[in-house]
Amino acid sequence: MKTSSKQGSVCTLVLMLAAGQLSSACSGQGEVDGYGAGNSGAGAQPGVVTTTGGVGAASSSAATDGTTVSTTDGTTGSVSGAGGTTSDPPVDCSTPQPNRAPIRRLTRFEYNSTVASLLGDTTSPANSLPAELLGNGFGNDADQQPVSNFLVEQYATIAGEVAARATQPDRFGSLAPCIAEVTAETEASCARSFIESFATKAYRRPLDGAELDELSELERGIRSAATFEQSLASVIEAVLQSPDFLYRPEFGVADATYPALLRPSGHEMAARLSYLFWGTVPDEALSAAAEAGELATDAGVLAQATRMVDDPQARPVIRHFFDYYLPLNTLTDLSRDAASYPTFNATIGSLMREETQTFLEYEIFQGSGTWPGALTAPYTFVNEPLANFYGIAGVVGDEFRRVDLDTTKRLGLLTQGGVQAGTTVSNFTNPVRRGVFLLRNIMCVDLPDPPESIANSIMPPDPGSAATGRERYSQHRENPVCANCHSVMDPPGYALENYDAVGLWRDQENGVTIDATGQLEILPEPFDGPVQLVTQIAASELTQHCFAENWLNFGYGRTLDSQDSCSVSAVQEAFTQSGFDVKALLVALTQTDAFLYLSPEQAL
Amino acid sequence: MTFRLRRRDVIRGAGAIAIGLPWLEAMEPRSARAQTPSVAQRFVAVYQPGGAEQSRWLPSGSETDFQLSEILAPLESVRAKLLVAAGLDMKSALGEQHQAGIVGLLTGMAQGQAGKYVSGPSVDQVIAEIASAGKPRTSIEMAVRWATGKSHGLLHPINAMTFANDGKASPIPPRIDPQEIFDSLFGSLNPEDGAAAELARKQSILDFVGRRYESLALRLGERDRQRLDEHLTKVRELEGTLVSGTPVGGGCQAPERVDTSDYNPASGLNSSDSGSIVDSSSDAAIPKVGKFMMDMLVMALACDLTGVVTLQWSDTEAKHTFPWLNLSEHHHYYQHDGGFRSEECAQICRWYSEQHAYLLQQMDAVDMGGHTLLDESVVFVGSEISHPPTHTKTSMPFLLAGGGGGLRGNRLLSFNGASHNDLLAAILNLFGDPRTTFGDERYASAPLAGLV
Repeated sequence: MKTSSKQGSVCTLVLMLAAGQLSSACSGQGEVDGYGAGNSGAGAQPGVVTTTGGVGAASSSAATDGTTVSTTDGTTGSVSGAGGTTSDPPVDCSTPQPNRAPIRRLTRFEYNSTVASLLGDTTSPANSLPAELLGNGFGNDADQQPVSNFLVEQYATIAGEVAARATQPDRFGSLAPCIAEVTAETEASCARSFIESFATKAYRRPLDGAELDELSELERGIRSAATFEQSLASVIEAVLQSPDFLYRPEFGVADATYPALLRPSGHEMAARLSYLFWGTVPDEALSAAAEAGELATDAGVLAQATRMVDDPQARPVIRHFFDYYLPLNTLTDLSRDAASYPTFNATIGSLMREETQTFLEYEIFQGSGTWPGALTAPYTFVNEPLANFYGIAGVVGDEFRRVDLDTTKRLGLLTQGGVQAGTTVSNFTNPVRRGVFLLRNIMCVDLPDPPESIANSIMPPDPGSAATGRERYSQHRENPVCANCHSVMDPPGYALENYDAVGLWRDQENGVTIDATGQLEILPEPFDGPVQLVTQIAASELTQHCFAENWLNFGYGRTLDSQDSCSVSAVQEAFTQSGFDVKALLVALTQTDAFLYLSPEQAL
Repeated sequence: MTFRLRRRDVIRGAGAIAIGLPWLEAMEPRSARAQTPSVAQRFVAVYQPGGAEQSRWLPSGSETDFQLSEILAPLESVRAKLLVAAGLDMKSALGEQHQAGIVGLLTGMAQGQAGKYVSGPSVDQVIAEIASAGKPRTSIEMAVRWATGKSHGLLHPINAMTFANDGKASPIPPRIDPQEIFDSLFGSLNPEDGAAAELARKQSILDFVGRRYESLALRLGERDRQRLDEHLTKVRELEGTLVSGTPVGGGCQAPERVDTSDYNPASGLNSSDSGSIVDSSSDAAIPKVGKFMMDMLVMALACDLTGVVTLQWSDTEAKHTFPWLNLSEHHHYYQHDGGFRSEECAQICRWYSEQHAYLLQQMDAVDMGGHTLLDESVVFVGSEISHPPTHTKTSMPFLLAGGGGGLRGNRLLSFNGASHNDLLAAILNLFGDPRTTFGDERYASAPLAGLV
């Protein structure tokens, strides 16, 4: 198996890690039937966080012709390919360096969680909003949140619907205690007290007198031509479209130690914490801590973060992260040729997604707690239908329960059926696509895109052209232009060829025994088979750093850049010190310059 | 910074009057024009997936004496206003073979790499600056049976055609629910059931909301303020679209609401990559929904709701079946998944021609005061590829129609491999925009001559 030469090859990983900007003369990136492995549609694999010297770069790397998914002001925060270590001046971490905090808008996930918290509305109304742009890979990139007419109309529509549901007769009384006994005389003050309590929670901050007056005027004006239910519904409708609700503005307060810097105010910090861990508004305890000034110190923030990561409200957010980080979103509609995959059916995809999410929740909260642990666990979670599909005996019933793996064939998260099927978009496996997933998404290795001039002619190989995947992609080895990059990208994918297009084990393909050997410069040893591959991946520092970087991008709602190096180092250090504990990582996100401070430049 | 405050102020003024006298204010400016205006007034772009086999698409004959092909024959009744723009190459469509074609179709920009959007606006959005000035809506984007296959119902470079003129080329999600489009455009029509009070209620809410964006934006830094300003603009535009009553008189008639309960606009959300999950009910409803959307499109223009509308028939995967044509596989199957089926592809293309003929006939039936809606419009139809099985992008199956800006129909033009960027520039010129290039500069030279 040819390895890339160390001299002059732009795809040599050693050079990639040092040199920064790359140009590519290679072809055939993980491309099947028109879907790239990189920045593809919502729900597919997330965009890439590249790591060179520990600093992230944008998922939308600049192509040679300059077509990028650009941001508001053209600065994408993307240092595409470049590590930022050679071309940018070093950042002085002796004073806090919070870097940018572009204003964030609620995602559909956050909108749904928030109206559930505020009004008990669990219908997920935001699902009818247009989907977010993938941006940083997680759909919550503040630099990629355009506004369309359609979006604004839908905000109005769903606000009206939520308000109507909240003011139905059976729920109206629960909006405020005074409503049950309201009279003509007490109505105005009852309305005002509802407005105050609702808007305070919805805006995540107290309202001043003028704001209360304005909302009261709105309500009273509507009340003159409508019922009390309708006028209070109108308040809800207005609040849910206001920027104070849909966006998360931050103005900060002067820091005690560094007067030139700002810290988020108590309420702003409470919202940062609640949206980071729970995707919704603060609870009573967090609001009380904010009021009491506890969130003005690093320790106070830490105390809340520690409580919040263990709260059940954290689970959906963690699940949401993995839905993007891993190729799980598309599993629900996974469909395969019945003749080739007779045991596969429409429910298997959903079950595999559930397997992976259940496994991760267990591993993080009850198991080893660590990311390497998740990547090397000798067990998984199945229920009866899924067990039958995998050929695991002795599982009865619909509940998912832990089963041991045959560790000669499977080990940890990456070998689960969902990950293997999710990295396959047809009835045939694509080792390039899988290799790119591991390298880009799991290890944050920067892989150049094929040159634009040949992008048009990239076609998947004819499935009938050879017996095995390795042979079908032989062009990647035989053509020296391709080999430059594909000798790096393909080997991990070939080592996964024992998993077919539905994630089941096979020793042979078309009667030929699968050759799952390979090696990569970034891994210490050659590998033979998936278990050896994932064991080495799990042990690599690149993998741990990559996981942390993705959580940083997800947690802060943007793509971190070279100016974030102080925050990135702090998180990487804490993650490493903890033994790569996932909960510790999440808590560490709250102890960085980026989280604890606010740059005064935001106010300019 | 364009906040469209001018438009908003105009609408505020017009809106206050319009509540008592629906549509008459909007009607006035047009009735003064008996002649076809010299500058094009409306732009329509229609997307048909899957290309067309040239030998069955290209008319035979000379520029002014030609016979429509089997695929284009349904357009015979409107040939007087039809211009066949043959022989154009989408030179800028570099990138993934499906995606580059659709993201580049109206932008003339290169995608570069699979999975990316483009970095320039689509021509309809640039035209909208002119053609939709003073109208409630910048543009209206519609799509029928859209986001099938791998895009799973979501906006993606494999199905995105229009990009905002906001400096960021933000992809614009099309409206896919015909009932939502009807409600949004033509609203609640019966004054007896409290519609006026409801309208006033919504207006006071939006007014409040707009003031919140205004005052919060002032307290923010430059970049954040820009984002809230953009949001504010859209809130004001939404406010401007609230009018009461039934459009009356002249060419503006609210279409009848059509029952589309057998059609799931979001069917794509449950699609499989390969199109093997079939939604036969929604597929069977495509002709009905498409016609309904076209009727609403025509009236949105005739009622001056906007100057620009785009319509997508599905997307580049088009993984839906065609029950009314007795085709039980999806479009991409007939392109190459099942081996190229020339007959079936031609059948599908011909059906799209029939739909387009309907659209053009409807536009030609609207009297704008001495000339028709079609006469003052430019209607473009294109596809993301040319040859169905190989997805080439040379000799594209492009058509123009209408008389806007002096566009002259009943002609077959062959552009011998010219760049389609030059077509986009020429279209812009029809609207009075004088630029000589559009889109990726590498593939733009000068606006095509010969359209007028």
